[in-house]
Parts: sequence; structure tokens; C-alpha cells
Amino acid sequence: MNLSEVKLNTECLIKQINLQDEKIKIRLMELGLIEGTKILVKNKSVLKKTLLVIFNYSCFTIKYDIAKNIMVNYD
Amino acid sequence: MIKVLLIGNPNVGKSTLFNSLTKSNAHTGNFHGVTVEEKRKIVKLNNEEYEFVDLPGIYSLNTFSYEEEVSKQIILTENAIRLLIVDANSLERNLYLALQLKELNLNFKILINNYDYFLKKGNKLNINELQKHFNNVEIVNAKKCKLSLNLLNLENNSNQEIYEKNFTNTKNEAFFQKNLQKNSENLKFFKNFYKNERGQIKENNLNYEKNLEQISHLKKFIVEIKSNFNLSSEQIIFAFNGVYKNLNEEQILYIKNLLPQIIKARYNYLNKMLSSTLTIKKNYVYGYCKADKFLLNPLVMIVGFFAFFFASIYTIFFAIGPIVANWLNTAFNFFVINPIMNLLYTSTSNVWLIEFFSSGVFNSFTTIITFLPQVCLLFIFLTILEDSGIISRMAYVLDDFLTKFGLNGKSIYIILMGVGCNTMSTLASRNANSKNLKIKTALINPYISCMARLPIYVIVASAFFGKKSYFVIVGLYLLGLTVALITSAILNKTILKNTDNNLFLEFPPLRHLDVKHLYNVGKTNAIDFTRRVFGVVLSIGVIVWILTHTNFSFQYTQTMTDSILFFFAEKIAFLFAPIGLNSAGVVCALVVGIMAKELIVSTLSISNNAASTAALISSLTLSSSVVHFNTASAVSFLIFTLLYCPCISNLAVLKKEVGKFYMWFAIICQLTTAYLLSFVFYQGITNGIFIPIMTLAVATIIIFSATYIIKKVKHPKCLTCNKCRKN
Repeated sequence: MNLSEVKLNTECLIKQINLQDEKIKIRLMELGLIEGTKILVKNKSVLKKTLLVIFNYSCFTIKYDIAKNIMVNYD
Repeated sequence: MIKVLLIGNPNVGKSTLFNSLTKSNAHTGNFHGVTVEEKRKIVKLNNEEYEFVDLPGIYSLNTFSYEEEVSKQIILTENAIRLLIVDANSLERNLYLALQLKELNLNFKILINNYDYFLKKGNKLNINELQKHFNNVEIVNAKKCKLSLNLLNLENNSNQEIYEKNFTNTKNEAFFQKNLQKNSENLKFFKNFYKNERGQIKENNLNYEKNLEQISHLKKFIVEIKSNFNLSSEQIIFAFNGVYKNLNEEQILYIKNLLPQIIKARYNYLNKMLSSTLTIKKNYVYGYCKADKFLLNPLVMIVGFFAFFFASIYTIFFAIGPIVANWLNTAFNFFVINPIMNLLYTSTSNVWLIEFFSSGVFNSFTTIITFLPQVCLLFIFLTILEDSGIISRMAYVLDDFLTKFGLNGKSIYIILMGVGCNTMSTLASRNANSKNLKIKTALINPYISCMARLPIYVIVASAFFGKKSYFVIVGLYLLGLTVALITSAILNKTILKNTDNNLFLEFPPLRHLDVKHLYNVGKTNAIDFTRRVFGVVLSIGVIVWILTHTNFSFQYTQTMTDSILFFFAEKIAFLFAPIGLNSAGVVCALVVGIMAKELIVSTLSISNNAASTAALISSLTLSSSVVHFNTASAVSFLIFTLLYCPCISNLAVLKKEVGKFYMWFAIICQLTTAYLLSFVFYQGITNGIFIPIMTLAVATIIIFSATYIIKKVKHPKCLTCNKCRKN
């Protein structure tokens, strides 16, 4: 999936988190980004390097480089 | 004395509750990571002393940053009552930490904050149902909560005993060494176990029991690990919660491999528990609102911020600030200085004593104390940005831009805090995700103009630029920011490359401004500033006056050029000649200013014997004064004071946070930058642009060459360049 083409307000799903950085992987999961969680892309930064997403009723920023590895578009 | 720990996720209202319970004025803000070190205050209740400890926010006991590590250590080891503050609007994530505490068998009480907002939005929570899972649950309003025994009605305990028993026992270490071979085999077994069990955790039993092994979501893991890995239940539970003390690498690796499964199991448990307790209105989102569609537009945010910044500077320096300062000056002269001086004139004829009080005591701090309104206004404007929730939005919008300079969005908070006080913002660099980012933010901090430099700008700029001084002051703030960003970019390309620049930032909701809180911020900072003026400025000011009025025979002298301090200052004044500051008085002020930047103005006023701000401003333009400037040297002086060296308290924090090496690095780096830019501006104004251009060209070549050499010699491991990927 090319996330930069995902339109705003598109709902995505969290797939299995396979990141090289174990620390980030654990932190993402502990924030509630576990497999199967629905996540809504609310905003993209100017250079599309950071996304504003909503999951579990809360709003977080997440780097695009990470997001593209953990999210799948299912809309 | 009973300790009470205030624990919770970032930005749930811990510091606000701390302030309410202890009647303190700890720094609060609507932003993730405002508290970076624990704050303690002792309060008496029913003849019993309670020490309240406000901890930095923590999402999980598996820590991610230094501030979280501080919290974790205190939570695990201190014998205390634990109050876990959770936000009703993000209960699931907040209760994740509660679950971890429960696994560790620690007593705690859950305080649900922000409940009114939660209900107002149409959501429901069944507290009784929640009580079944966590025995002690209470709803509080952090802003209005009052201290009562009922709130603290909880047994205090700690896991120190278990912690000591399992993790500081040398027998365990010997045991692990002896069983290394066996452990390798176990590891193989668990790798298979892990593989087979992935995604198949089922949660049946929702009742917690006191025995750690009966904690339903962990039971399966614990039973298997215990029988095959020779670890105690407590050790396993501790390791699941990020405490790996005295475990060998293989064991840590094994537990870490299991962690994703454990996290899933915890969230499964929470989901099931909350499905019967929580009713959330459809499409409800906490943190994001309609106004964000407009605010998150980069153009709106940047234009809006600079409009706010320029308007704030105008209000602080030229509109309200000077008027209130003038009233204060008049009142201070009328009620304090004049009566004391009149009393002195009538009771003694000792010139030394009269001079000491009029020049040494009053001059040194009246010129500073009149800046009290400006300082309060500055902090109020910063609080408006913090409390409204705008800073998180700025962090998101500016993240892409700041990443280019090796920083991230969160750095904007540290930069803005630096406008208030560099020392506090250096401490705030703790909330950076990586070590390099932390060092970099701490090193660039002193370039940001803090409130202590504010009187210098106003006095010197007013003396030489009159009505145009507004632009000079704005220019100085922008110059400081530019130098900070360039320095960060250079550090990022050389010795402090960012390997982890991830921005996980929780968006807080936009909030209305609380006038009472703004008043409290103003009051607290007014008290702090006054205390600083009466403490540091007055005491060092008196020492400076003595040194500038005592000759080598230790006798009083009215001719300052004969004094001890001027003798030494003159010896090094030649070093400052190329930047137009070769006067001994200026050198004295700059040297003393390292102690605290406020002392620069007080030293100037002692040197010129100026009794008020207005007198000092006019004296700086007179060639007959001990310290005087022309336009070029005034600009040079302003730039040098902006950039030259962190104050002594900032240096102490730098040493503590980033070490001695980087503290000296900051001093040398800042002195060089200050000298270079002062030289360029001074020579540019006096001798034309040829010398400055040549100097800047040479400096640029040196910086680029050094960057290239360092990059070649010390290439940090990364995942982005081809060279590292091949390796």
C-alpha cells in the first residue's frame, strides 16, 4: 500500500507490527496499536513525513516511515 | 512520613492534582511531557506528614525515554501510597499501566480525572463494574481536588523486598552462569513455544486473584516459563514489566520476544473488561476537534504563530510592560529607596556607606526589578500557548521542517520554554526519544533568548535605536533561533546524528484559557524573579560594587579605573577590541554575566552609577560614562550577550544532563559563535562588508571541512545509507 496516496479520513487496519527497532515496536503496541486495530488518517504534514491518526478514540502523530510498515488500507 | 506517588500517563493532570493537594505552583501545561523530573512536597494532615511526589508521565513500565525511567524507578522501589491518575477519555490506554502495577502486586488507587468532559460528550462509565477489577476507584477533578484522608485511604507497599530478593542476589547470577548451557536449550524450546502460541491467546478468567500466577492473562506464560526456565514468578513478572536486572542476554531476549504476546493479552483483557463498563458515543475522538482542520494548515499555523509572537513582544516591551514598570519604579523609589536614603543622609556622613547603599545596593537591583512586569507578561504569553493545546499542533506542523535540522516537532516546546528560562528548557530536553536528540536540544538551548537577557535588550536597544528598538529585539530573538537551528543541523551532520527521530505525540484537546491559572503563573514567576533579584543579583551586585570601588590597598576609591576588578578586566580587554567591546566596564559585565545574565545590567548600572533604567539608558550614549557604546559596538554587545555563554545554573544542568564534555563543548561553541557574529556585525558597520564576507567565507569553509572530516572519520551506524546497509 502506498500510504501517501491514502486520502484523509480513510480507515486503515493495523497489521502485524514488524519493525526493526524493537523499542518502537513495543511502544506502539503499548499505546494500543495492536494487530487488528482500526486507525483513521486525519491529516498529513506538508512533506507527508508525519501523519495525524486516530485510534482508540485518541489522536496521535506517527511518522509515515513507520505507518507504512504497520498499516493496511481496507476501505 | 508517608509517601504518596502521583502516577499516570502524560498529560492526565498529575501536576494539576499535585498543585491542588499540596497548594503548590508546579509547572503544568496542556502538552505531553511538561514534567521531566519528580517534584516533592510535604503536607501535614491530621498530625501526619505526607510527602507528595509528582512523577513525569509514563505510558508503560517498559520505558521509552529518560523521564519515564525516572518514574519507573520510583514507582517500583519507593514504599508509598500510589495514586494512579487516569483520563476518563482514554481509559483503555491509561488502564494498561494499572494492569502492570497490579501484576507487580503494588497497591494503588485509581483516580479518574476529566470525567465531566467525558460525560458532557455523551459517554458513560460504569464505575461499580470497574471497581470489580480494580478495588480502589474514585472520580476526581484535578483542579479542585481537596486533600482528605479518604483520598489516601490505602495501604502503602513497595516491591523493594521482592526486587532486592530477586535481582540483587548474587546467588542468582551464579545460578544463571551455571545453567547457561541449559538456558540455551530452553531458549530453543521457547522459540518454538512462542512460534506455536502466536496469536492464540485466549482469555477466560476475568477475575484477578492475589497470587501472581493466577493473573489470568499471564498465567499461561508464567507456568510454561517457570517449568522450563528456572525463574521465579516474581522475576518473570518483573521482566514482563521491563526490569531485566541480573538476567542474562538470552533470558532478556527470550522475554522480549514474548512481550508482543503479553501486550496483546493485556489489551484483550482490557477490551473485555471495558466492553461491560464503558459506553463511548459513536465517532467520539478525544484531542481532535473541528478547529484543527483550520489550525493544522501550515500557513495558518506559521502566520498565526508569528503574529502572536510579534504582538507579544510589542505588548511586553512597548505597550503594557513599560507602563507598569514605570509605576513600579515610582512606587519603589517613593516607598523604599527614598526613605532609606533620607535616613542615611540624616544619620551618617560616611561617604562610603552612602555610596554603598545608593550605588552598590539600590542601583544594582532597581534597574532589574523594574523589569518584573515584563517577565510576568512573558511567562503569561508562554502559558497561553501551553495551556491552549496549540504547542502540540505546532509540534506536528513544524515536525517536517525541524527534522531537516536534526530535531523533531517536540523540540518546539523546548525552544519556546527557552524563551522563559534556558535552564528549565535544558532540563526539558529529557523528554527527547534518543540520546543524541537530547544532547542536541540541550546544546542549542542557550542560543534562545531567555527572560534574563530581556533587560539588556531593552536598555541597550532603547539607548541607540529609540522607536526602532522593537525591530532590534525581534531581530535578536530570530537571530538566536537561526543560530540554534544551524548549530543543530551541523551537529546532526557530524557528531550527533539522529538515528531515531520518531514523533509519537498525543494530541490534547484545545482548552479555554483559565484566567486563575494565568494569574497564578504570573504570580509565581514574579515571586521567583524577585527572589532571584534579591538573592543572586543583589549579593553578586554588592560584591561587584566592592571590587569596583576597592583598590589594591583595600581602600575605598571613587575612581573605578583604580579598582581591583578594572585592573584585571583591562588586562583581557584587548581580546574584545576586534568586536568593539574593549572597555573594562563591558568586560566586567560580560564576565559577571556568566553567573546570571541579569547581572550584566546591574554591573552596567554600578559602573555608570545609574540610579534608574532611564538614567542607565542615557548614560550608555555619553562618552564620559565608564561604560559607553556607539551604534556598532552596541549591536556587537547585544549579539555577544545573546550568544556568548550559558549562565552558571544552566551549565550545572548541562553537566548533569549531558556530561562534562558536552558542557565544555557548549561553552567553547557558544563563545566562538558569539565572537564570530559580533565581529562580523561590528566590522560590517564600521569598516564595510569586505571583512565580514571574508570572515564568514573562511568560517563556512572551516565548518564544512570539519563536517566532512568528522563524517569520514566517525560515521555513525544508520539504516539509511548504502554503506551501512551493505555492512
